[in-house]
Amino acid sequence: MDEPGSGGSVVRYYCTAGNGMEAFLINEVKTKLAAEDVCQIPGKVLFSSSAKINRVSNLKGAERLFLLLKQDSPVSLSAHTSTAKAASVLQSRLLGDKNQWTSAVMTWSRLQGELTGRKNTVKTSSPALGVTRKREDEMRGSDEQSREGEKSLVEFRTSTGGERKEETDKQRSGGQNGVSTMAQKRKRDDEEEKERKVAGWDTGIEKTVEKGKACEEERTREEEAEGMLVEFIDCTHGADVNGGGPVCDHTASRLEHRGASSSKKMDDIAKDFTEESQENVKTTGEKNKTLLTTCEDKPELLTCIPVSFRISCKCSGSLSRCLGAQEVSRVIGAGLSRLLGWKADLKNPQLEINVNLSDDYCLLGIPLTRLPLANRSYIKITGLRSTTAWAMASLAHIQPGFRVVDPMCGVGTILIEAAQEHKDACFLGVDIDEAQLQKASENIAFAELENRINLLKASSLVLPVPSATVDAVICDLPFGRKFGSRIDMAANLPLILTEMERVLRPGGILVLLLSPQLSCLLKKLLIQYDTGPKSNPETKPQTGIQNCPSSSGSPSKKQTFQIHSGVKSTPSQETKLQHSLPFTVSSLKHQATFRVSLGAIDGLIHKYVKKDCCVFRDVMF
Amino acid sequence: MKLLTHNMLTSHVKGVTKGYPLLIKATEVKVNEVEFNPQFVSRMIPKLEWGALVHAAEELGHRQDLPGELVQDFEKNEDFLKKVHRVLLEVEVIEGCLQCPESGREFPISKGIPNMLLNEDEV
Repeated sequence: MDEPGSGGSVVRYYCTAGNGMEAFLINEVKTKLAAEDVCQIPGKVLFSSSAKINRVSNLKGAERLFLLLKQDSPVSLSAHTSTAKAASVLQSRLLGDKNQWTSAVMTWSRLQGELTGRKNTVKTSSPALGVTRKREDEMRGSDEQSREGEKSLVEFRTSTGGERKEETDKQRSGGQNGVSTMAQKRKRDDEEEKERKVAGWDTGIEKTVEKGKACEEERTREEEAEGMLVEFIDCTHGADVNGGGPVCDHTASRLEHRGASSSKKMDDIAKDFTEESQENVKTTGEKNKTLLTTCEDKPELLTCIPVSFRISCKCSGSLSRCLGAQEVSRVIGAGLSRLLGWKADLKNPQLEINVNLSDDYCLLGIPLTRLPLANRSYIKITGLRSTTAWAMASLAHIQPGFRVVDPMCGVGTILIEAAQEHKDACFLGVDIDEAQLQKASENIAFAELENRINLLKASSLVLPVPSATVDAVICDLPFGRKFGSRIDMAANLPLILTEMERVLRPGGILVLLLSPQLSCLLKKLLIQYDTGPKSNPETKPQTGIQNCPSSSGSPSKKQTFQIHSGVKSTPSQETKLQHSLPFTVSSLKHQATFRVSLGAIDGLIHKYVKKDCCVFRDVMF
Repeated sequence: MKLLTHNMLTSHVKGVTKGYPLLIKATEVKVNEVEFNPQFVSRMIPKLEWGALVHAAEELGHRQDLPGELVQDFEKNEDFLKKVHRVLLEVEVIEGCLQCPESGREFPISKGIPNMLLNEDEV
């Protein structure tokens, strides 16, 4: 029911993501939001999507979500640039286009309305109405001869009077600067709704003011509009998606025009409109007419409501040597106030503008949610980073009916992230620690996932599960930062892995999160197994490693060996490994490794697939 | 512990060759209403040890009239799926223990979580 295209116009966003999470997030926006023009810069993913904002804000791999305001080539300054010069360069580069700011704020305001609408059903009437009417207008617009349509708009404007309209517009945009009380505004809004309905945009305005009736009609209108929506999508879907860029530009120019024209005389406006509508027909046809109609809704917002704002700035590279982040904020803030009449408000602004300037990019955006997306409302006690846990679960390709086991589940973060996304699978969390299991149990209850996540106290060395019965094993191997100091993970790794491999069915997937040290150790273990039978059992691992590249010249393999030679384990560890080597059979085939940031340190996510036949001699890395 | 979990639990006490299925000795059993998801249940059925499930349900007095042998075409039999759903997900052992059928070793269940941890000498 929630097709990605059903959100309406295409919006360009960007998300911040933890180091190494970009690839997961790119995949997520493509699959969940049918995103286009997806690109990444370190720590950020940019994309365009027409999906509803509620779906966008439900991304799991992202840290924070922003509406893209401006993306530009980096601002480069020579080392000797004076502060004053730097400031003026910044202002001309970043502030240049007024329309970009005004249209972005309009989009932001609309998205905010839709977001809060989701959280608070009482409030839904206002934003929902805005959207509904827009669609209806669009429908109507496309039915009419363009010129007639635009003229009637002008007529409507004059007859209703600018002042009143301004107020309703303010209300719609969530501005709180109106003089009248909310109740009055609502009343007027209702009246206007009614008027528009009656007037139908194509004749003069008849004023009938009956509040109750107006409300009732709104409801019917919404229903009608829903019906029409299907039609609307059918006829404009293509244009919508492909014309993202031009559409925005067009809106912006129209807005500016409308803003500027408020002081013009009627005749001028009418004339302009005529010209524009002709232009529209020539250039992009019907779609733009509808836009013109849409814009009529909110022109005054931009010139009449002073937006209060705050700049958050991150600066690096050559620019930061001329200007600090604070100075950049001040320069841009002052420029914005001058350009648009917005007011700076550091404490409680309506709008926050994030500015990221580095030698590699220049990115401006407006945050869409107060809390980071990575803060999960359904997790009570945090363990592993939620985004990392989600990424691991996404690698397991969980299918309906899957049995998924986390043999060292801790507080259950991975299982909760996995179960949130996969409703038709069952999950088993195993841990040896009673306190951890208690927390996991609380977490699972809090997330209301008791039905699908079950817990068990047992050792990961001896899982109380029959062989080949599990479809996926996902595990964050504790590596001694928070936990795991009690057992020697390095020494136990072969046994743990053997046990995981035993319970997996052929074709089952193993996803592990390891420290860099454990990651090297694991690669070495599997290579040891791989080369072991060929060479003399007494051969030291190093010799085996030196022999290998000649037998297989793949670049990935070489890389692995480089890592190994870099990290030499102590002799005692090696002897221990050789003795405890239980890998009589290993059917785990390495598929991929991802390096992700865990904050203070990096972790490595390994993915393996259990092969059907027990013995295979493929290249493992 | 739900019977869905019990169905995949086995005892790995040293020397035991067939630690499955574990016998249930329940002192407290709870039945929670759980939202019925026919897709999930019909996907899980082929993975179950059917005999072990029916036996476990019988032990707890919740067998209803589940047949000893898995019926054909259960995917379309909503009545049947609902019964399996109940046994798999709604019946839950809160307190009690599980017993290894071969060695007799008992594994306590506390607050719904079975403790399958073995002593060092049992591994």
